[in-house]
Parts: sequence; structure tokens; C-alpha cells
Amino acid sequence: MTHPDTEHHDGTSDATPGGVEAARRPGELGFAIVLALASAALLYNAYGIAGFEALSSPGAIPMATTLAMLIAAVAIVVKTARLPKITGETLSRDIFPTAAIVFAVLLLGYGLLLQPFGFLPTSALFLIVAIKYLSKRSWLYTATVSIGSLVVIWLIFRIVFTVLMPAGIMPEAEFIQFFRNMFQGAK
Amino acid sequence: MDAFMAFLTVFSHPELLLLVGVGTFAGVYVGAIPGLSVTMAVSILISFTFSWDVLPAISLMIGIYMGGVYGGSRTAILLNIPGAPSAIATALDGFPMAKRGEAGTAIGVTTVMSFIGGFIGIGVLALAAPFVSDFALTFQPRDYMLLAILGVLLVGSLSSGSLLKGIFAGALGIAIGAVGRDPLTFTSRFTFDLSIMESGISFIAVMIGMFGVSEALLQLQHVNKASIRQKISRIVPSLKTVRKHLPLSMQTSTIGVIIGALPGTGGDIAALMAYDHAKRVTKNPERPFGDGAIEGLVAPETANNAAVGGAFIPMMTLGIPGDAVTAIMIGALYIHGLNPGPMLMVDQPDMFWFIVGALITANFFMLLFGLTGIRLFTKIVEMPRSVLIPLIMLLSIVGAYAVNNSITDVYWMLGFGFFGYFMRHYGYPLGPVILGVILSRLLDDNWRRAIISEREDLGRFFYGIVTSPLSLTLFIAVLLIFVSQTPIWSWGKAKLFGRKQGQS
Repeated sequence: MTHPDTEHHDGTSDATPGGVEAARRPGELGFAIVLALASAALLYNAYGIAGFEALSSPGAIPMATTLAMLIAAVAIVVKTARLPKITGETLSRDIFPTAAIVFAVLLLGYGLLLQPFGFLPTSALFLIVAIKYLSKRSWLYTATVSIGSLVVIWLIFRIVFTVLMPAGIMPEAEFIQFFRNMFQGAK
Repeated sequence: MDAFMAFLTVFSHPELLLLVGVGTFAGVYVGAIPGLSVTMAVSILISFTFSWDVLPAISLMIGIYMGGVYGGSRTAILLNIPGAPSAIATALDGFPMAKRGEAGTAIGVTTVMSFIGGFIGIGVLALAAPFVSDFALTFQPRDYMLLAILGVLLVGSLSSGSLLKGIFAGALGIAIGAVGRDPLTFTSRFTFDLSIMESGISFIAVMIGMFGVSEALLQLQHVNKASIRQKISRIVPSLKTVRKHLPLSMQTSTIGVIIGALPGTGGDIAALMAYDHAKRVTKNPERPFGDGAIEGLVAPETANNAAVGGAFIPMMTLGIPGDAVTAIMIGALYIHGLNPGPMLMVDQPDMFWFIVGALITANFFMLLFGLTGIRLFTKIVEMPRSVLIPLIMLLSIVGAYAVNNSITDVYWMLGFGFFGYFMRHYGYPLGPVILGVILSRLLDDNWRRAIISEREDLGRFFYGIVTSPLSLTLFIAVLLIFVSQTPIWSWGKAKLFGRKQGQS
């Protein structure tokens, strides 16, 4: 099959999953081993559901699938271990670039702050930090773009899709009610 | 007559027509903007539209699906960056054409060919699905089980990646789908005695994580990629060009419909296979493939849009998704209390004809938006990734939270996003995971039904498979996938077809 060169061996599609076929990327073997160990643990857990009680037991399919996972994962470990290491890639540059780590931390932070702080302040903080970090433009640009897009997103989702996000410290409902009253008052 | 009225639903309700239009418009841009994919958009959208009625929600999703499959071609041609996976093959010849100053022709041909392909796909869907669903009523539980296994395996075997990794991904998906209380006996499975695990893992969280956050994290490596501006000339292609490539487009549309209709495999795989087919059958292209051959645009673009109609066939008739997007739509129908499968076609044929109508409408909108709005397009596509990536992440979080108003889902989503990031780096396909999650329940239920009806006897179970032509065919197909990965296959192929085939 035609195999177009993907920019960074990172799969954008199932037709061309990432990775490198004939070589081992940094960290690939470690990942395969983790998957194999996790599969073994899940198989043990699946055995605990109903054991070998009956073919139709609730544990039958979980045992079959985790067994398939384990077999596939072990085969992948063996195959990967035999491959030569890829040249020109390092773990810190290609798999864990600083940007990816920064964003992983930012995302986790967002998850932690969302409930107590509420959607608007947390999102504003997230967007400002993230856009400033990536674009390296002035604070004015960052703030305008962040707040502007946040307002658009909030309007679309709150009003068109009626999605309720945690309000937190921001008196969102009062805010909407204020405008509602204002428009009704004008009528 | 009822069917015809249902088919016309979209046209007689301005708000539905508008939603399909808005969806298609958004789809063209979502597909075109690198880093935003249709699968991502549809999975995020489910969580936003679940409070809507089912028809508007489906209208919007169908528009996005149809527009998105097409939209990826634009950036593939103009920037050499496929905006969506289904446009990977389009870049191979589209970009050389653009470099030569023929971007307008390339976009025009692509649009018209996508339209033709889309129609063929929808036509086959409308004609074939009622028969398939009649036939599906005779399916035994074991046939459903085999189909589900086939669907999970096909992606791994038809793509250029490793089947082993495909199997792992599919099995993982099935296991994720099994987490929580077993619906039949209420036994806990994979809950590790944690109460948050009891209700299972929200498949929307898995999907948004894998297709939204992991993609956004990968895009971080391409933040500073500069885009190249292209001049765009005449867009509407001449009738002569279209007529000349009609025979090829029929062949590649057929490939598209078939690949689309196979469980699990969608437009991205169809496009690459059609491109390979075009390379084989085109004897004297005006320009060599890879250097701006029009055939290299016709093939993938007809195939990927034909695959859209194709993918709905197993989804509507069997409840088995034809690709990742239809997998998500099955999830959406579940949320709206509908149960896709042969009974849906019997009980609510209107739903089917409504979807066909919406697809046709979306196809027309796609043609309209495809041949217009180029100037606006170049502006939107040049949206800097430094803004786009944080926004995708934000939308992913909002989407994951919105379904159940639960922060736990956000953590699952992030977890699967990080996990998907590594999977993509190391060549594990993500489609089978989603398929596995969606098909897990179907596989489990049907296996248990099948084995109970055979009185828990594996011998009788296999006897049943061997004596039913359908089960046997499916079983052989599953076996063939495994055999095709072993050396026996290439040895046998070389023996059968002689040296020439063996080499290719």
C-alpha cells in the first residue's frame, strides 16, 4: 500500500498509524512492556470475575479479550526488542518534548481547578497561559485572543447547546439573569 | 409513500435544512484545518447535542461528516498538509498540481469527484440497506459475534500498520467496554472495588481523549510550521475533464463503498486503496503519479466520500459501525434511545430514510461550499496552531464534562488522551479501540446468547458455524485475516499468481 510519509511518525489515521515499522523508537519497548504487564494484571482480574465457571459466565469475554491482549502484547514486546534502535531520535526530544509535558501539566491543572474555581476563570487562565506559551506574542495579543475566543465558546455552548459547566466563583447565573431582565425591561 | 415523506423531512423543515447546511459548512472547515478531525468534531459534538431532539442532532452530525471527509482535501492541495486522515492520498498529487499553479483545477476536480463519489455511496446505501436489513433478521447471535470480531480486526489488517497492534487495540477496547456492572448478572467487572468504576467508563470520554486531546498533544510538535500561500485560478472543472475520468471514478467509488461498508474501515483506508488501484489501472496518465496526476485526485476523493454512504450500511442494518465516525453516531443514537440494528429498520424505517435525505442534502451543500468561499477559506485555515491547540483542548474538556456533568469523565478523558498520545507515537491504531468499546456489549451479549443456546457446548457451537453458510463465511474471513499475516500467505500468493504478484 502507498505509504505517505507522515511528518513525525505520529499516526494521524488508522490507515497510517504512526511509529516506524523497521526500527524501534525511543521508549517503544518500555511502552510495550508496560502494556504486556497491564494485560497480565487485567487477565488475572478477569479470571477473578467468575473463574472457569461457565462458557457463558460474565467473565468469559473479559478473559478472552485480556488473553488476546496479553498474547498480542507479548508478541509485540518480542518483535520490538529485535528491531534496531532508530537513529536520530531521542526520548526527550521526540516523545516527551517540553511542550507536551507543559501541556500535560496544564491539562491536569485545569481538571483540578475546574470544580472549585468554575469554568470561566479556569478556562481564561488556561487559555492565557497556553497561548502565551505557544505563540510567544505580547500579553495584549494573548489576552485579547484568549478572552475573545472564550466569550465566543461560552456564548455558543451556554446558549445554543445549553451546556452547564461548573459556575465556581463566577456568578454566571446572576449574570445571565441580569441581561435577561435588561432585555425584557426594554420591551 | 411513508418512506418518501421521511426522505423529504429534511427539505420540508427549514431548521433541519439549515442544520445540515451549517454542519456541512463547519465540516468543510473542520476537515480542512489540520489538527481538527471529523472524528474529533463529531465526538465532541455528541456531548453538546445530547439534550437536543434526535433529528436536529443527527442532521448536524451528518453535515459535519460529509463536509469533513471532503474538507481535508483543500489543505492537502494547498499546503501539502492533509487536513483530515481521509485526504492523505490527495496530497500526493494535489500539492504538486498546486505548486504548478493549478490549485484551482485541483480543488474543482476534487469537489466534483467528491460529490460524485458521495452520491454513489448514498445510492448504494439507499438501495442495499433495506435488503441487508431483511437479510440481517436471519442473523444468529454467533453471526453478530463474528461480525464484531471481524470489524475489530479489519482495521489492523487493511491498514499499513501492524495487525498485532491492531488486535491489541481492539481487545483493549472490548475490555474498556466491559468495565462496570455486567448488565445481565450484575457482577462487577474490572472495577477494582472502586465505586467510580461501577457505572463503567463513558465511551465519549474515551473517544474525546483519543481523538481530541491526543491529536492536540501531537500537534504541539508542528506549532511553528509555516504555511505557503497558493494562487487560486478557475475552480469549476470543465465537463470534458469530468467525463474523461468518469470510468475511473466509478471504479474507485465502488472501492470506497465496499471499504466503507466493511465494519470498522472507513474513508481513510478507502482513499489509500483507491489511490493504489488508480496507479495500477491508469496506463498513460498525463503526468506521472506523485507529480500532479489528476487520476491521483479522482481516486481518493471519490473513494473517501463514497465510503460515507457505505459506512452507514452496517451501522443502520446491523448496529455495527462502518468506521470510527459511524461508531460515534451509534453512540449518539443510543443516547437518544434508539437502538441501531435490523429492528430499527423495521420499527422506524423513517429514521433510515431521514438519514438518506440528510446525506443527499449534505452532499449538495458540500458541492456548493466546495466551489465557493475560497478567500474566506484561506483566512480560516491560516489560524495559528498556537491558538487552535489550546482551544481544541478546552473543547475536549468541556465536551467530556458536559455529558454526565462529571469531573470523573474529564479525568478519564485526559487519561485516554495521554495514553492515545503514546499509542500514536508507537504505531497502535486508535480506531479499533473505539470500535471495541462500541461493540463490546454486542459481542458479549451475542456470545452468551449463542453459547447458551448451544447448551454451553463448544462442539455444538462450532458445528453450528460450519453448517450455516453465513457463519462459515464470516468465520473463514476472520481466519483469513490471521493467515494473511503469516509467511504461508505470501508463499501461497507467489505460488498462485506467479512472481509478478508476489513482488508487489
